[in-house]
Amino acid sequence: MKLRSIKYLTVEGLKNMWVNRLMSIASIAVLIACMLLMGAAIIFSLNVDKALGVLRDQSIVMVYMQDGRSEVENKATANTIRDLDNVKEATFVPQAEGLESLLDTFGEDAESLFTFVEGENPLPDAVQVKLDDLNRFDATVSAIQKVEGVDSVNSMRETAMRVNSISRLINIAGFWIIGLLIITALVIISNTIRITMNSRKLEISIMKAVGATNNFIRFPFVVEGVVLGVAAAGITMVIIYFVYKAVLGAIQESMMTQGAVPFTSFMWPLLGIFLLLGVLAGAIGSLISLGKYLRKEGSEFRAY
Amino acid sequence: MQTAAGAPIIEFKGVSKTYTTGTHALKDINIKIYKGDFVFVVGASGAGKSTFIKLMIHEEAPNTGEIIVNGFRMSEIRRSQVPLLRRTMGIVFQDFRLIPTMNVFDNVAFTLRVVGASSREIRKKVTAALSVVGLGNKSRMFPAELSGGEQQRVGLARAIVNNPSMIIADEPTGNVDPNMSYEIVELLTEINRRGTTVVMVTHEHQLVRDFNRRVIMLENGTIVADNADGGLES
Ligand SMILES: Nc1ncnc2c1ncn2[C@@H]1O[C@H](COP(=O)(O)OP(=O)(O)OP(=O)(O)O)[C@@H](O)[C@H]1O
Ligand SMILES: [Mg+2]
Repeated sequence: MKLRSIKYLTVEGLKNMWVNRLMSIASIAVLIACMLLMGAAIIFSLNVDKALGVLRDQSIVMVYMQDGRSEVENKATANTIRDLDNVKEATFVPQAEGLESLLDTFGEDAESLFTFVEGENPLPDAVQVKLDDLNRFDATVSAIQKVEGVDSVNSMRETAMRVNSISRLINIAGFWIIGLLIITALVIISNTIRITMNSRKLEISIMKAVGATNNFIRFPFVVEGVVLGVAAAGITMVIIYFVYKAVLGAIQESMMTQGAVPFTSFMWPLLGIFLLLGVLAGAIGSLISLGKYLRKEGSEFRAY
Repeated sequence: MQTAAGAPIIEFKGVSKTYTTGTHALKDINIKIYKGDFVFVVGASGAGKSTFIKLMIHEEAPNTGEIIVNGFRMSEIRRSQVPLLRRTMGIVFQDFRLIPTMNVFDNVAFTLRVVGASSREIRKKVTAALSVVGLGNKSRMFPAELSGGEQQRVGLARAIVNNPSMIIADEPTGNVDPNMSYEIVELLTEINRRGTTVVMVTHEHQLVRDFNRRVIMLENGTIVADNADGGLES
């Protein structure tokens, strides 16, 4: 197609959007609704994932050393553990630090609870271990248990497994939710455009009569679909920005919020997904509703 | 009639058309139309006139027989070639079919935009076509602001603007008053004088008598009269 035709048809597509502006607005609204749902699903799963990641990283495996060993010996044991298969990190926690972090967790008020006999610290030296693959949890834990100098392993196996299955569930659910939303968007957009098609039957029949190719007829419709998609993506992104900010603000009042994923970290990928979805939904939606007319050769769809 | 002037521009060989409803709209039609001919197609309602036109412009395909128009064999034509066939012809409709949201100029320019003409070429050719139909001063008006006769002249300008080798018109005067009918046929005659083949379906017998051209008469899907060899052009 000639560049000149492309220019002309692009302008025609934009004009059509304006002529059918009610339908254009309806299409954008539908797309925005789908994208908002999808965005909510994505952002929710991102945050859950991050929270789970924190859980996963938090000393899921705490290895306590036998009593009566020197710190040097215990550090060597930590190194042995670090070299084991499937161990991502092994951090040595001397008994003093262990108490501090315990106090941190329970708050200043609890300090009295931990005031023991002068200078005595009841906690043993420990090694905090992070694993690579939670599926090999059991094998790795028993390997750690066999290391010389290890007294006990506090394994939080349940938590680890639960984290694992929750994140799998969220991934699967997210996949289906997003798939369904894409299909919904397509169906609704093509239906919306089909409604405007009725008023354009005359125009299409004239185009056919004067020798327009199907691509020539399609072009303005595709332009229209693409512009609708891009507009919807942009608007959705702005809405998400403000809503997310408000939600985080509200949560901050009551709970910890440092854990939340910042908007900027998913802004571009999410916008990319929305643009792709919007453009596809708009373009494919308009092509679907146009197909019926393009298969005909003229006045079968006469306006009268 | 220049019957001897080479291959026909339109040829029907043993053509039949039966719609899916079972209506036999055309039965064993054989016809040759040559370059420069002016042909009226007449017949009662339901005789098959519109079907004849639809087969010519490949809006419908025949069940049997072969149709050749401007070198395109309808039995072999590919979907992608149909637009090329249509660009060799100017089609005029009974209901004008102007785009209401476009002014006269843009309606006529439509034909040229489809082929990707430059805006300079468009301006030149549209102006010329509008002056042929006598609407040079109404190019900025919209279809709703014109009379039926004027609208049909815009339709005619749109049909001729890209110099087609033939004009195909299905009852172009069906929606305009008798005086305007005359003017439109006069215009078609003028266009025909410049070498463009014209095929025009009409109900108006008076018109056919007054313009004294080749007449193909259809009845129940068959040709019952054709004065092709009758030596017209008196
Ligand atoms: N798309 C169609 N499907 C089924 N039958 C059709 C179709 N178009 C036309 N027919 C039938 O074919 C026959 C011929 O129709 P056609 O339109 O060719 O007649 P016509 O001579 O143009 O009539 P008119 O003067 O009323 O326009 C009629 O009986 C008509 O009902
Ligand atoms: Mg008819």
